[in-house]
Amino acid sequence: VAELEPVLTAAGFRAVALRERFDCFGGTSKEKTARAYGVVGVNVYARKPFASGAD
Amino acid sequence: MAVVCPVDLDTLQLRREIQSIYARVATDPTGAFHFHRGPAYAESRLGYDGAALAALPPDSTASFAGVANPHRIAPIRAGSTVVDIGCGAGMDLLLAAHAVGPTGRAIGVDMTESMAARARGSARSLGLDHVDVRIGDALSLPIDAESVDTVISNGVLNLTPDKSRAFAEVYRILKPGGEFLYADIVVADELSESLRRNIDLWTG
Repeated sequence: VAELEPVLTAAGFRAVALRERFDCFGGTSKEKTARAYGVVGVNVYARKPFASGAD
Repeated sequence: MAVVCPVDLDTLQLRREIQSIYARVATDPTGAFHFHRGPAYAESRLGYDGAALAALPPDSTASFAGVANPHRIAPIRAGSTVVDIGCGAGMDLLLAAHAVGPTGRAIGVDMTESMAARARGSARSLGLDHVDVRIGDALSLPIDAESVDTVISNGVLNLTPDKSRAFAEVYRILKPGGEFLYADIVVADELSESLRRNIDLWTG
């Protein structure tokens, strides 16, 4: 999750924030694999600056 | 999260596999898959509004295979233009179309024709003339630069081999001040090189 912010910021986005996590693989045939690698669903907010170079 | 594709991953094969799997989801959503589908999953695990989903055509909700819920991130404003990248059969797209209302626009982009056809059919059946579904790729969106107020995407960009390019495309189409309501899966642990090259793990 921590890797998302720099990638989005490098693309130009600002106000990047992780809002929520979801156990989207719970109850599926891949639940065990998902837990082993820490795979989760996430809601992330990001905004394009209002003007070039501005936040 | 893998940001850039390993150089020797066969990205064309990856694209074919993705199209094949999601074409199968479109035609047989009750089939055997490693991920959840459908409105009951969306409501119980992802916090979607059950009543709003019940008002949508089953054709658009049965194939839903999202992993989070972009509609819980921030409100989509009435009269605005929203793009759903990887709209699939259209569940998130139609919810966004209701949010923007008839004075707004809701544009779906998907690379699977069978999914796009379902989304179009569902929009038509609801009389949503402000919905437009286009065939396209997240790495080269068929959308004009700085023409969009909000971009949503749910469980799609993790399938692209180059996340930086995908995010650059989102940035390109957003107007200044535009919002990206991004729902996806992330991997907490660093994956080995061999796992990152494994197409089966990329697609499921």
